[in-house]
Amino acid sequence: MRSQNPKLIGQSIPRLDAAMKATGRAIYTDDLKFPGMLHGALVRSPIAHGRILNLDVTKAKKVPGVKDVITGYDTPKIKYGNWRLVPASQDELPLAVGRVRFVGDEVAAVCAIDKESAEKAAHAIVVDYEELPALFSVEDATAQGAVKIHEENQDGNVSLTRKIEYGDLAAMFAKADYVREDTFRVHPVQHAYLEPCSSIAVPEEGGRITLYTSTQTPYIVQCLLAHTLGLPENHVRVMKTQIGGGFGGKMELRPWEFCAAFMALRTGRPVKFTLTRTDELAFGRRRHPMTIYSKVGFSKDGKLLAKDFQVMLDGGAYNAMGPTATFLCGTFGNMLYNFPAYRYFGRHVYTNKPPASAMRGFGAPQAAFAQESQLNMAAEELGIDPIDLRLINAMQTGDVIPEVATVSSCGFKESLEKVRQMSGWDAKRKAAGNGRGIGVGCFSFISGGVFNWFNTKYNFSAAEVKVFDDGTAQLHSMACDIGQGTDTVLRQIMAAELGISIDKIRLVSMDTANTPKADLGSWGSRVTLMNGNAIIQACRKIKEQLTPILFTEFDLNQIHDVGFEDDRVFVKANPKKGMSFGEAVYKAVRGRQGAPLSATGFYTPRNKGLVSPAFSFGAQVAEVRVDQDTGLVSVDQMYTAHDCGVAINPMAVEGQLEGAIHMGLGYTLMENLIMDDKGRTLNTNFLDYKIATAQDMPPSDYAEIETFEPEGPYGAKEAGEGLAIPTAPAIADAVKQATGFRAMELPITPERILRGLGKLK
Amino acid sequence: MAMPHFQLHQPKSLEEALDLVAAHRSSVKIIAGGTDLLLKMRHAGLAPQHVVSLNRVSGLTHVSYTDEDGLVIGAAAKISTVAEHPDVRRLYPALAHACDVMATVQIRNMGTVVGNLANAAPSADTAAPLMAYGASVVLVERGGRRQVKLPEFFTGPGATVRESLEVIEAIRVPAPMQRTGSSYHRLSARSKVDIAAVGVASCLVTSMAGEILAARVALSSVAPTPVRAYDAEELLAGQTPDEMLLKRAAVACVRASSPIDDVRATANYRRRMVQVLAERSLLDCLAQLEGGKK
Repeated sequence: MRSQNPKLIGQSIPRLDAAMKATGRAIYTDDLKFPGMLHGALVRSPIAHGRILNLDVTKAKKVPGVKDVITGYDTPKIKYGNWRLVPASQDELPLAVGRVRFVGDEVAAVCAIDKESAEKAAHAIVVDYEELPALFSVEDATAQGAVKIHEENQDGNVSLTRKIEYGDLAAMFAKADYVREDTFRVHPVQHAYLEPCSSIAVPEEGGRITLYTSTQTPYIVQCLLAHTLGLPENHVRVMKTQIGGGFGGKMELRPWEFCAAFMALRTGRPVKFTLTRTDELAFGRRRHPMTIYSKVGFSKDGKLLAKDFQVMLDGGAYNAMGPTATFLCGTFGNMLYNFPAYRYFGRHVYTNKPPASAMRGFGAPQAAFAQESQLNMAAEELGIDPIDLRLINAMQTGDVIPEVATVSSCGFKESLEKVRQMSGWDAKRKAAGNGRGIGVGCFSFISGGVFNWFNTKYNFSAAEVKVFDDGTAQLHSMACDIGQGTDTVLRQIMAAELGISIDKIRLVSMDTANTPKADLGSWGSRVTLMNGNAIIQACRKIKEQLTPILFTEFDLNQIHDVGFEDDRVFVKANPKKGMSFGEAVYKAVRGRQGAPLSATGFYTPRNKGLVSPAFSFGAQVAEVRVDQDTGLVSVDQMYTAHDCGVAINPMAVEGQLEGAIHMGLGYTLMENLIMDDKGRTLNTNFLDYKIATAQDMPPSDYAEIETFEPEGPYGAKEAGEGLAIPTAPAIADAVKQATGFRAMELPITPERILRGLGKLK
Repeated sequence: MAMPHFQLHQPKSLEEALDLVAAHRSSVKIIAGGTDLLLKMRHAGLAPQHVVSLNRVSGLTHVSYTDEDGLVIGAAAKISTVAEHPDVRRLYPALAHACDVMATVQIRNMGTVVGNLANAAPSADTAAPLMAYGASVVLVERGGRRQVKLPEFFTGPGATVRESLEVIEAIRVPAPMQRTGSSYHRLSARSKVDIAAVGVASCLVTSMAGEILAARVALSSVAPTPVRAYDAEELLAGQTPDEMLLKRAAVACVRASSPIDDVRATANYRRRMVQVLAERSLLDCLAQLEGGKK
């Protein structure tokens, strides 16, 4: 089936936006300026939990240059949240009313003629609080008698639970020869996208709003902003410029988007908010810290029989995308291996910390750190090589996860074999010790979600394709390139399907008023599969319009087939019989009496279970050296074998892999948001919030294990987030082999290693 | 935050610079590389009305070495210039190493070694090696000039003995004696492009007979200022160095430290690392001395 793919599929086409970005010509939201534009500033809560007793804005209004000051009491006070399907989960207000729930909770906003005046006015707002007891851990928040962070929440501070259960757990544990129980803990880290959030709201005629914003979900922002302003959805137009990374941190409506739009409508002038890095690190979204209990049972020959997986997610003050993480954590507790009995119980818990939300891998990196580490521990005790133990239990094509999904393509076993061979695993594993080690971790991930939590009435993705008589074409798509490269890959898919050159395609993207509805955005590794399918459908409709031209022109017998390649449309059996793509369009438009040629395609997964239409798989091996006196870990080499179906653009996949290893390295070894006992984040700059640098990056070998995913465009599935999952357990296992220290907690800092080895109190 | 408004002065001579500092004494800062100062002005509320730049003052960008005068690092000499200087690389390897690994390429190309000392961060990377080499700071004011040894120069985090009308003209480092070994070790959570969580520099000079004539060990990031480890130095003086002795000296170094817990490391870890790095640094010195004998 792969051999039938157009020749553009599988080519490493360089990113079309690369030159613009590398030379500094790309325009980001904060680069935009409008006549009369005002600058906004936010007032945030300095305390983690409290009641607002009084808000005094009189001094702020008198600051010269100030044009508007708003508090929650001036707004329509409409709650919002991404899970529209469950209205009770929508727990956030753009500006606090009555109560603040974390250090940084937004309580007021101002706008002024310049930034300095806006900041001065923000400082002049006086807020009196009555402090309430603040809860900073899931244990405290779920303890008897704990203060309720949201009074209207049903179940104490547990905002949402998810249960998955199949098979006879008790019977399987009874049958098991080897059972172990472990508890793992993971920490909060941040997306650290290079572009801090920025938004500009421009008031338009008729009380409408155009919002330029750094987002990965323009449609979600459009709907929720309209909802919170009390406007029809179509009164809000969301546009983006270039986006400097998202990683899950820009997929919700944000308070400053609301404040910009609300004050733009009140003042009649454009209003801009741009956050600083300090704002982002101190108050921004983060990856969920979790406490993960896992009990597994094996037969003595290594067959996994049962698993009990119980997770508490530290959600922070609001739900944000936590419910989805709670669901996916359960899915990824059982996605890699086929076993008869599984129970998952996930609880999403409110605490008085900045809300956790989606972040690359969406619950899976945490679940995998526990699952893969535990499997490595079991392998040691069972005396089975960890790669062999995985081969015994690995998921395969056609396997069914009860009530969840059927795996329609799976190259997991091949990935395990490949990574074993690439890394020289067997010899190196035997030689491990004395500060050198090699370890393994694996992953699986979704190619977009099925579960419609946003409750959209439209298709999940859409594409409009227009073709012109000069041989060019235009793609209208709401899909967001947030740096991952979809502006290139989607055009590559369209060029392949229409048989035209990629540089002939103009892209109109991310303008909710000018692209077909809908698009759920860039998250869950959904864009290539879902938007790719929509584009292919639209292109095929165009081709149906062009094919008759050839039949008429060359008086063809109906048994002939028409080809589209190299900017030509031709008879497949006799390629000389043909014409340029532009000429075919010209003739079609003539025949349509001047009506332009365009078509719209859609995609929504159907009959694909509850989770995802397709799953990626892969295995990764890390080689490390540990300085046993200082505890410093250096990762010397990474090996990855990866099944992402057909790689549409291998260079883009490699970019994802490099980026994922970089993020995984930080997550495993050094990144950590450190908080004091008042709920304040202490490391709010890149000197103290430590991201791996280019100099820390290990060399990396990788192999694509190509499968053909029947549901994917040209056989493709996800390559964005899955790769961010295996690095922590692989490095943790390598550190264990090198030193004897098994990390049950992240990050694996030098101090933890030395303490674990008894070399430090 | 926006940069506060200020007037920039770019004198051509040291006399002119001293006059400007005196004339604007109520609100003046001295700038060379600006890699610390501009951050404080942009983000930490520092708002001087006048800024006097040393970058055009003749002679201050120089790095020079003679056997008679030793090493002289001018106030406006960039960190990268010092790192690349052949005499620094040949005779002061601990300082060269500090200048190679500290901060980032951009900061090393803009920032100055004198500025690194003047900023007086407890973690200043060049402070420990310069202390180990017995360096002094040359302070000038109108009609006067004094030389202050580094251990006396620092008085607390961000604080030095520099008087408000004084300008640091240069750092002077004595020429190393025959049979000198020196080394600087530092570590941090991120192996590259990071601030040091602990730093140890040492310098040993031995006699023809192999006895230690002079030992200096200096620590950074483990006390309110960079400090000398005098106990360890006393233990080493007059002895013939071997591995056992150096290990005992490394243990003694810990007594000179008074670290705190912060987001970069705990005090316990820092104490432990003083010993580990001191041992490594002293063993490096020994290896150099033994290598020199051949």
